[in-house]
Amino acid sequence: MTDRLFKWEKENEKDVPGEERSSRKPDMSVEIGRIGLKNPLVACSGTFSHGEEHSNFYDISVLGAVTTKSYSLKPRKGNPPPRICETPAGMLNSIGLQNDGIDVFIKSHLAQMKKDGAGIILSIFGKDSEEFKKVALRILDVKADIIAVELNLSCPNVEKDGTSFCAFPEEVKKVVDAVVSMLDIPVIAKLSPNHDNIIQSAEAAKQAGAEAISLINTAVGMAVDVETYRPLLGNITGGLSGPAIKPIALAKTYILARENILPVIGMGGIFDYRDVLEFMIAGASAVGLGTVNLIEYDAGEKILLDLEDYLVKKNINNIRHFTGRIRI
Amino acid sequence: MKILNSEILSNERYGPDIYKMEIFAPHIVKNVGAGQFVNIRCCSPDKRDPLLRRPFSVFDVEKKFNVFSILYRVRGKGTRYMSELKKGDTVNMAGPLGKPVEPVSLKGNLLLIGGGMGIAPLNLISRIAADEGKKVSVLAGFKDSSLLMWERDLMRMGVKYRMFSEDGSWGQQGLVCDHILDEPKVLRDHDIFCCGPVEMLKVLQRELEREDIRATAILEEKMGCGIGVCNGCVVKVKKKDGIDYLRVCREGPAFELSEVIFD
Repeated sequence: MTDRLFKWEKENEKDVPGEERSSRKPDMSVEIGRIGLKNPLVACSGTFSHGEEHSNFYDISVLGAVTTKSYSLKPRKGNPPPRICETPAGMLNSIGLQNDGIDVFIKSHLAQMKKDGAGIILSIFGKDSEEFKKVALRILDVKADIIAVELNLSCPNVEKDGTSFCAFPEEVKKVVDAVVSMLDIPVIAKLSPNHDNIIQSAEAAKQAGAEAISLINTAVGMAVDVETYRPLLGNITGGLSGPAIKPIALAKTYILARENILPVIGMGGIFDYRDVLEFMIAGASAVGLGTVNLIEYDAGEKILLDLEDYLVKKNINNIRHFTGRIRI
Repeated sequence: MKILNSEILSNERYGPDIYKMEIFAPHIVKNVGAGQFVNIRCCSPDKRDPLLRRPFSVFDVEKKFNVFSILYRVRGKGTRYMSELKKGDTVNMAGPLGKPVEPVSLKGNLLLIGGGMGIAPLNLISRIAADEGKKVSVLAGFKDSSLLMWERDLMRMGVKYRMFSEDGSWGQQGLVCDHILDEPKVLRDHDIFCCGPVEMLKVLQRELEREDIRATAILEEKMGCGIGVCNGCVVKVKKKDGIDYLRVCREGPAFELSEVIFD
């Protein structure tokens, strides 16, 4: 019986003319608080720069949104090299938020991003809530060009031993509050897997006015050269990303999403459309594509097409169907 | 730059554990400039191990046949996988990447100083320059004679060369760095390009600085993306207002040797 049904589906697909097939195109749009995206795929901060490089490989406006690398008030040189080390099924990085500063972004990169046409989520970073506020102030004039601001509260490469803001929910609250008080566009708080308080941090972010949580940032990790006894990263420790952290990211997504505090943008080791579905079933409203962008330069487009095909095949007409559908 | 699945035309031993892979890729042959590289996925398409692509300098091009080659030493599972590929298999790669260097010689002559596998990008510079009728001289140093095949390639290009090996099995015994000042006049008459181990580049930098001679270094660094988005492959470089970290894959791989800070 199953076999026959499968055959019928195949034949049917072949017979459907182009127009009819496109009329069956599933609704891929998602909503995250006030943020509406045409599909749930968001390029993660730090893995897509401003999209300029990837737009050599595909039309990046097909993505739900692009998150910029994190910008700070002043330019940051970043950490000493080596900054990259591959580990089983993952990579460690200790970039240290190297960036040109928010003013250069607004003056030079924003125009290019607007031309590329993807929704822009601007990731920002500051050393304390005051600095976050100052960065937010710079954004005021261009806020119409961006769909949301993501607060990087979780980079493990700027403080000693991977500590970050989200180690302390009261700090999360202070920072979110500082930015929300300056900007009336949606604010997303990006959290870390390195502290055992995502629920408290998410609650703090919500109280201060954040509209979504993105998680996870990289997990603190390390690698050592046994010949020289030296760490393989210039900054000693770094952030682990890639398929190695996917199970951790999924668990954090599930644990936070079931609390129903804020919508979750889940990320960590997503490499194909099935990974996307896993995150959504675990509770994510949208997902981030990170390390995959460094390897499969056209991953965004490919995963989107695969997702659409899967929905058509399963006769599911709405991607939102999956969010939180986990059966326990 | 493009992602390509290109056909391997040959993948043959060039020395012990060293292979030369010839790939049919009109896009690369048409667009590649000296110093540029391709970023290759070193596992079968259904695998993700190793996860990251690996950068390989373009070693040579044969325009007539739309073929280019890379030279690689088997060092880990990625290069082991590559060494097992056969004629007719494909490689998934992106390129050409990096900023091309212009071997437009102001002085009319080029001097290439290489160490070990660092000869790979120098070979392409030599090919381009020789095709343009420039005079090319090569000084290269090796541990042993495992890259001996290169001598044949240089002879075919009609390039002047001097080889050094630590064990004395090829050319003169010794280190290439000990001999760069043998003929100071030659150094001044040539535009210099160098590539090799950091230890070699450090000595070169010191020696050339003493003589106030400029050189272009082609650098290697572990890369995350190879296309300029991750800021992973940076090197420390002297700038007017202090230091800066520049990406080997984007601002490089060629840098002014005197500006690089080797910690």
